[in-house]
Amino acid sequence: MIVKVRNLVKRYGDLIALDHLSFSIKEGEIFGLLGPNGSGKTTAINCILSLLKYDKGEIEVFGEPMTPEAYHIKRNIGIVMQNVAVFNELTVYENIDYFCGLYIKDKNLKKQLVEETIEFTGLNEYRNFRPKKLSGGLLRRLNIACGIAHKPKLIILDEPTVAVDPQSRNKILEGIRKLNSKGATIIYTSHYMEEVEQICSRIMIIDKGKAIATGTKEELKAMISLGEKITVESYDVSGEQLARLKQLPNIVSVEYSNPLIEIKSSKGKNNLENVLEFIKKENIPFGKIYSELPTLNDVFLEITGKELRD
Amino acid sequence: MPVYNLCMRIIRKNIPSLLIYLFVFVGVSIIVSSSSANPQKAVNEFTRKKADIAFISKDDSPLIEGLRNEIGKIANFIDIPDNKGDLQDALFFRRVVYILRVPEGFAQKFIAGEEVFLEKTFVPGSASSAYIDLSVDKYLNTAKFYLEHMDNISQEGLVAYLNDTLSEEATVTVLPARTKTNLSNLAYTYNYMAYSLSSILILGMSAIMMALNDKDLKNRMSCSPISGTKSNLQFFLACLTFSGAAWLVQIIACFILDLENVMTLNTVFFIISSLVFTFCGTALGYLIGSIVKGTEAIPAITNVVVLGSCFLSGVFVPAELLGKSTLKIASFTPAYWFVKANNQIAQLSQFDLSSLKPVFSDIAVIFCFASAFFALSLLIRKTKRYN
Ligand SMILES: Nc1ncnc2c1ncn2[C@@H]1O[C@H](COP(=O)(O)OP(=O)(O)OP(=O)(O)O)[C@@H](O)[C@H]1O
Ligand SMILES: [Mg+2]
Repeated sequence: MIVKVRNLVKRYGDLIALDHLSFSIKEGEIFGLLGPNGSGKTTAINCILSLLKYDKGEIEVFGEPMTPEAYHIKRNIGIVMQNVAVFNELTVYENIDYFCGLYIKDKNLKKQLVEETIEFTGLNEYRNFRPKKLSGGLLRRLNIACGIAHKPKLIILDEPTVAVDPQSRNKILEGIRKLNSKGATIIYTSHYMEEVEQICSRIMIIDKGKAIATGTKEELKAMISLGEKITVESYDVSGEQLARLKQLPNIVSVEYSNPLIEIKSSKGKNNLENVLEFIKKENIPFGKIYSELPTLNDVFLEITGKELRD
Repeated sequence: MPVYNLCMRIIRKNIPSLLIYLFVFVGVSIIVSSSSANPQKAVNEFTRKKADIAFISKDDSPLIEGLRNEIGKIANFIDIPDNKGDLQDALFFRRVVYILRVPEGFAQKFIAGEEVFLEKTFVPGSASSAYIDLSVDKYLNTAKFYLEHMDNISQEGLVAYLNDTLSEEATVTVLPARTKTNLSNLAYTYNYMAYSLSSILILGMSAIMMALNDKDLKNRMSCSPISGTKSNLQFFLACLTFSGAAWLVQIIACFILDLENVMTLNTVFFIISSLVFTFCGTALGYLIGSIVKGTEAIPAITNVVVLGSCFLSGVFVPAELLGKSTLKIASFTPAYWFVKANNQIAQLSQFDLSSLKPVFSDIAVIFCFASAFFALSLLIRKTKRYN
C-alpha cells in the first residue's frame, strides 16, 4: 500500500470537513478523489501531507506513519497544490529548478531533471517567462512541473485543471497518464467527473467529508440501478404510444419534449433492442437514436439525490 | 542550500532598484564634499552679538553708572517697567535674556565691604546671558580687588581704574581646523548612509520575505524534505550575506570618496557604528517584512519610515538646526543615534576611554533598537502563526 487512511476525522469548529474517511491506494494506481466544491478533497490531501492537524484517524504513506517530520517520506512525494504556488520573482526555469532542488542535491542530475520536465510539460518556449506573464493554462502546467520534476514515487494533484482550457486540460491529463505509466502512483482530485472517468483506475466519490462510494468506474456504475439512457428523435408520437412504451420491461421513465423522447431504463438485457422493436412495430417515424451509459453524475445523483455539478 | 540560493536569487533580481540608492548616496556625497570645500566659514570668524537685557537700578552711584557703561558695550538695554509680571513676561518671550536689578544703597554697602547681592534673572542655558553674567561678576570682582588693595579710594577714582583695566580686550582668532572640517564631511557621508543603507536593507529584506511568506508557498515548502529549522537557518544566512554585502559596498564607496581619512582611527569607529547600524537596518527590514502584506506597499512604507526618520534625525539637515522637540521625537529612531555617534566620532582627536564613552553608548542604543526590532518581529510572527 502506498497510502493508507483509516477513520480520518477533521473538524473546523462545528463543521465536520472529513467524517471517518478511510481508503487505501495501491502502487501504480491513479486514484481519483471526486466530489463537489467543499466536499473535503483538499482537506483530505492536506491531512495526508501532514499540513493539517486532524482530530482522529491514522495515515500511513509508503507503509510508515506520516508526520510533519517524516522528511524521508516527503522526499518521495510530488505535490501539485490547488492554489498555484510559484515564485513570481523567478522565471519558469528558475522555479522548476528551485523546487527540484529541494529534493535533489546533485547539480547535474537536477539540471537534467529540470530540462526533462520542461520538455515534458511543453514549457520550453516559456522558460524565461515570469509566472505573471503566463496564461492560466501555462501557469497550471508550471505548477505541475514544479511538483513532478524530482520524479517522485507518489504524485498528488489537487484539482490541477481548474480554470484551464480544454486543450491544455487534455495535455495535462495525457501527461498524468504518462507519469503513471512510468511507474508513479497518482492521487488526483477533481470535481469534473469526465476527467476522473477518463484517467482514474479507481475512484472514491466523497460528499460532505464522507466517502459515498469507492471502486473502478464500472464498479461504481454497477452499484446503481440505472441502466442506459435511450434518446429517440421523433416529430410524431402520440401520448398513448408513449404510455405503452413505458410498459416495456425495464423502462423506468419516458419523457417527451418535442422532438426528443428520453427513455431511462434500469439495468437489464436487450433494453435498446426492445425499444427499437417497439418503434418499428408502431411505425413511429424517427430520426436519430442513441443510447448512453450512466455517468458518474448519475451515480452521484442516485446516491445523494443531487447533481454533482451545482 | 536551496533556500539560501533562492534568497540570493531574489536579491539579485532586485539589484537594479537597490543600486539607485547607492548612486544617490555616492552622488550626494560627492556634491557635499565638493560644495563645502570651506563649510566652516561662518564659524571661522568670531563676532560678538549684543544681547538684549533689562538693567534696573535703584542706586544712582558712580559705581553702578560705571557698571551700566561697561555692560552697555556688550548688551542693549531694553526699557521694561519694574514689576514682577512685566519682567517675567519679557524674559519668557525673550525680549530680554537677562535682567539685572540693583537694590538701593548697593554701592555704599559694597564699598563698605558688607555682603550685598545683585538680583539677577536670566534665561537658563543661554550663552549670551551667561556671558553678561560673567561680565557683571568680572566688574564687581575687579572693583573688590581695587578696594582691598587701595585705601580711601573714591568711587569716581575706582570707576576710572575699572574703565582702564576692563577696556583691555582680548582679540579672538579661530584657527581653521583643516582635518576637523574634512572629518565632519566624512561624518556627513556616513550619516547619509542611514538613508541609503537602510533603504537598501529594508527593500532587500522585505523582497525576500514577501516571497517566502506567501501562504501557498509556505504550505508547499512544508511538503518538501527541507525542515523548517533548516530553511530558517538558510534564510538568516542569506540575510546576513545580503546585509554584509550592502554594508561593504557602501563602506568601500565611503573610502573611495575620502581616501585621505581612510587610515585614521576615526574611520575604525565609523566602521563600527555603521556595522551596528546595518544590523539594526536588517532587523527593521525583518520587522517591516513581518508586518506588511502586499509587495506594492513596501516601497511606500520604506520611504516613509526611512525618509521620515532621516529628516528628523539630522541626516539631511544638520542636527543643530533642528528644534529640540524634533530631536526628542527623533531620539526614538535609530538614525538619530547613528548620526549622533558619527558626529561625535568626527570630533574625536583623543581615543581614551572617557572620550569614547559617549560614542559607545550611542552605538549601544542602536544595538538595543536592533534587538527590539528583532524581538518584536519574532513576536508578531509567533502571534500570526498562532492565529
Ligand atoms: N481553514 C478552514 N477553516 C474553516 N473551514 C474550512 C477551512 N478550510 C476548509 N474549510 C471548509 O471545509 C470544507 C471542505 O473544504 P475543502 O477545501 O477540503 O473542499 P474541497 O473539496 O477541496 O473543495 P474545492 O473543490 O472547492 O477545492 C468546506 O466546507 C470548507 O468551507
Ligand atoms: Mg480543494
